[in-house]
Amino acid sequence: MTTNTTHLLSDREIARIRASARRRRNIGRFFGYLFLTVFGLAFAFPLYWTMSSSLQTWQELRSFYPQLLPSVPQWTNYVQVFTLVPFARWMLNTVLIIGISIPGSLITGTMAAYAFSRFRFWGRNVWFIIMLGTMMIPAWVTLIPQYLLFHRLKLINTYVPLTIGSWLGGGAFTIFLLRQFILGIPRDLDEAAHIDGAGPMRILVQVIVPLMKPALTTLGILTFLGIWNDFFGPFIYLNRRHMFTAAVGLRFFQTMPMEANEPKDHLLMAAASITTIPVLIVFIFAQRYFVQGVVMSGLKL
Amino acid sequence: MDYTLESSSASGRLKRRVSPIVLRENKYGYLFLMPWLIGFFGLFLGPALASLYFSFTRYNVLSPATWIGPGNYVRMFTQDNLFYTSLVRTLYFTGLSVPLGVLGSMALAILLNMEVRGKVLYRTLFFMPSLVPLVSAVVLWLWLLNPDWGIVNNALRSMGVSPPSWFGDRRWALPSLAMVGLWGSVGGTRMIIFLAGLQGIPAEMYDAAHIDGAGAWNRIRHITLPLLSPTIFFNTVLAIIGSLQAFQGAFVATEGGPAYATWVFGMHIYKHAFDYWNMGYGSALAWFFAIVIIALTIMQQRLSTKWVYYYGE
Repeated sequence: MTTNTTHLLSDREIARIRASARRRRNIGRFFGYLFLTVFGLAFAFPLYWTMSSSLQTWQELRSFYPQLLPSVPQWTNYVQVFTLVPFARWMLNTVLIIGISIPGSLITGTMAAYAFSRFRFWGRNVWFIIMLGTMMIPAWVTLIPQYLLFHRLKLINTYVPLTIGSWLGGGAFTIFLLRQFILGIPRDLDEAAHIDGAGPMRILVQVIVPLMKPALTTLGILTFLGIWNDFFGPFIYLNRRHMFTAAVGLRFFQTMPMEANEPKDHLLMAAASITTIPVLIVFIFAQRYFVQGVVMSGLKL
Repeated sequence: MDYTLESSSASGRLKRRVSPIVLRENKYGYLFLMPWLIGFFGLFLGPALASLYFSFTRYNVLSPATWIGPGNYVRMFTQDNLFYTSLVRTLYFTGLSVPLGVLGSMALAILLNMEVRGKVLYRTLFFMPSLVPLVSAVVLWLWLLNPDWGIVNNALRSMGVSPPSWFGDRRWALPSLAMVGLWGSVGGTRMIIFLAGLQGIPAEMYDAAHIDGAGAWNRIRHITLPLLSPTIFFNTVLAIIGSLQAFQGAFVATEGGPAYATWVFGMHIYKHAFDYWNMGYGSALAWFFAIVIIALTIMQQRLSTKWVYYYGE
């Protein structure tokens, strides 16, 4: 043991070790950025390619050397999509279904979540487990009789089959998420309001709901995306053209034979862009709430 | 807390009378639960029991259902050639999608969780494909993977590779479909759930490991993976359930073709129920499928005790 120094390593050696650690970290960082950038571009490229294709002529699309950018942007492609098929109508139909569904699932979902998180009624835990269990059963099991039921009630080609579920609880996932959120709201608040003479309904509307904004926003966004993207439900329940939603309309347009027998790849890309752009806009505005919502809604498993 | 209060006051009376508090809890509990309960009976339990009944009948909607006992189930195993092949195809599709999907989402989340600049930009880039409506995603990939004009094959040809015709090729159609699915799901909600899980891992753990001289790989192997295992489990279960049921992509892309190459089990059910109007046989297929999915989920739950680690329990 030496007496003149308490360090095991000289200053120089410490500096060298630090430098090598920094170098290693920098190399790791470099590869991290490299991977992120490569993956990011790979994920975004198909979207970019769609948008670019949607603004080209079909002759350009089929040329031997594909163009990354249209030589002259063909905005008329979009006009053509809207005139060949009633795409504007289909988008409005989708918005209508969304407009009916979002309030439904938020209101009735919150009610169920409130019941599960704040009241001790008989069979509460059993009902809760049953509710979670319904998530495991594939939709096929209920779909056939549901279809027959709506058929018998003459509700095919109406929006009732597509929206009624959201007014009846809005699905197990919605209720589960909202319940987790309400459980995180201190009960003292309820009790203070109770002492002040507020009934359960008033406590819900004036105390709980104002605090649930982040969760309700998240679920509103999820409902929007879910309905905008849904294909199969509208596909089996709607068969009149003017009733179609945007997703079903796109499929219809994809399979529709063209009169002039010209390729319609450019128009298909325009139509695909038309159905994609609204969700991208919603996401860009909402992404902060959305990511927060997933993190906060207690996906602590 | 107040539960014990209520129950003791209820039993304290010793008479078979219900205390007003219990009555109130029940009244409001069921009142607020009512919309969901109506939905549960009308849109879930009722239809589920009805399809269980249909599965023992021959029923083509036009004439009333006739009871044939287990005939549909016998037919499934003995006379339906597409039954086994579609089941195997579904498992193949799941085997392609789930490991790649879950590992991919986790890898992206770990990368994003590093201290990187422009995190939000990268996250948005990864997340965007999951927002693209399924029909649009299929339409755009049909174009990208077009055997003659698609950019993918153009690029492959210029590199001197003779490219497959993707959705037009029996061997490549299902992998193509899996690829579209992966593009649309790897950076989606699953990745966000992984990010949330990663952020739940206390930073002290990494600091401690760092001081002990653990390298990046060891930190991932001995801290991240064990502490993330509940999230991995949750995401795997969801991914398996999702990809077993996936059929809309196959339906939009090629309607099960070419030569039944993408005829997955969901497609089989759909065709019988809504194309051939064999509601009885379709219901039997649906119930068989439900039992397979439930069994697989329970199996995973059992297996999970061997590898899922709950921190702090």
